[in-house]
Amino acid sequence: MSHIHIELNNVSFGYEPDKPVIKNVSLRAGEEESIGIIGANGAGKSTLLKLLVGLCPGFSGSIRVEEIPVERNTLPKIRERCGYVFQDSDSQLFMPSVYEDVAFAPRNYGLPEEEVERRTIAALERVNILHLKDKPVYRLSGGEKKLVSIATILSMTPDIILMDEPSTALDLKNRRNLINILNSFDHLKIIASHDLDMILETCKRTILLSDGRVVADGNTREILGNERLMAENDLELPLSMQSKGVI
Amino acid sequence: MDKLGGAVRELSRIDENLKNQTWLVRLHPLVKLLVSVLYIAMTVSVPVLNIGMLLLMAVYPVVLFITGDVSFRDSLRRLKVVLPLVCFVGVLNPFFDKTPVMLAEGLMVTGGVISMVTLMVKGVLTVLAAYLLIATTGIERICYALRQLHVPQLIVTQILLTYRYISLLLTEMKKTVDAYKLRAPGQRGIHIRAWGSLVGGLLLRSIDRANVLYESMILRGFHGEFYYSGAGKAETADYIYLIAWTVCFIVIRLFGGRI
Repeated sequence: MSHIHIELNNVSFGYEPDKPVIKNVSLRAGEEESIGIIGANGAGKSTLLKLLVGLCPGFSGSIRVEEIPVERNTLPKIRERCGYVFQDSDSQLFMPSVYEDVAFAPRNYGLPEEEVERRTIAALERVNILHLKDKPVYRLSGGEKKLVSIATILSMTPDIILMDEPSTALDLKNRRNLINILNSFDHLKIIASHDLDMILETCKRTILLSDGRVVADGNTREILGNERLMAENDLELPLSMQSKGVI
Repeated sequence: MDKLGGAVRELSRIDENLKNQTWLVRLHPLVKLLVSVLYIAMTVSVPVLNIGMLLLMAVYPVVLFITGDVSFRDSLRRLKVVLPLVCFVGVLNPFFDKTPVMLAEGLMVTGGVISMVTLMVKGVLTVLAAYLLIATTGIERICYALRQLHVPQLIVTQILLTYRYISLLLTEMKKTVDAYKLRAPGQRGIHIRAWGSLVGGLLLRSIDRANVLYESMILRGFHGEFYYSGAGKAETADYIYLIAWTVCFIVIRLFGGRI
């Protein structure tokens, strides 16, 4: 781990007082790592991602992103370096056309229009949807919307990509396309998902959360293949491991 | 209730129509905004009893519909909810103003009837002008023009987001109504007892969605100011358009009363 991008020390957080959702979590993530966050519903996966970009203020402990502490006044800098893809693409895309949506972030960062165009085109090409450039967002299929959501953060040229349930509502072909695209990124990727087979294919490291605590943190194949550990935390083995028999 | 789905689609089609790069769409948004505002001001200021002048003012929407390739039928369909309300404005005037003004084919026409017709025509013309502006410019470019006029960013952002949230609210409404209908087969409309929880639920869900949308905006560097793709500088055609209509409106306003 040559350069630490993300560091959490004893972080706890709750949306309501006395009801912590994240409990005393500590972890580190370095460049080019691909990390899957798994856990049952309500384990705190989405909240953990939101903490990293300052969407959940009022946590205890410390969070550093790119060595910058997550504080109110540092959020613009941190958010410029982190691309966050929401679970529901419909809620993420709001501009009239694909191009306008992908250009939204670079324009907000005050880049000249030529640079905005260069970044927008590059982001669209990166996920193979340049042909959708002028299409209205509401006319896109679910899979296309997901790819546009990814392009909207790639145009920010982030160091870190955070994704909340990226494969939700995707058919098999679009899911496969998404996996290929994710595997082609050399950013630090953190993916929260229930799709364990996708985690198996895209992440080398996995963090298992249960009731807001880190229960396991290590090699994806070892964690996802541990039937007892998975069962204890209300999870099952990934389908691909079930059919081949547990290692 | 596919009226809701239709409303969402209609709203989207207005944006989609902007892809037809007609000369009207290509004009500078600031010029179109100024002409529209001037037109509305001039139309509203036409004296109540001067229908002739008002009919001359109709030349503006007529020319835009013909030359700008905007469908008149589609426009009427989209405005079918608003136009009756606009027409309703002066409906009581004939009862209050019974002063005889002229005799037409042996029939006495009162001031109240003329003022009612004038108000209706004024309403229809101004609504059409506003619609034509949106249909040929798009909300983003209108907001860009407003910023050029130094309208405070808070107001402009409110206008833009309200326009965007309309479709979001309609989509949520459609989902809610569809879910209700699937569990109330054979029932016409929504039972009055369900309205409270339905509207409450809709409000909460819309707030949730709006919140996620806002989070998505701030995570992409939004800090209160929308940056619109530049419309460039006004060109000769834009100036000609502005001057031509200004002259036209002034001529109608000054000499149209003689008709």
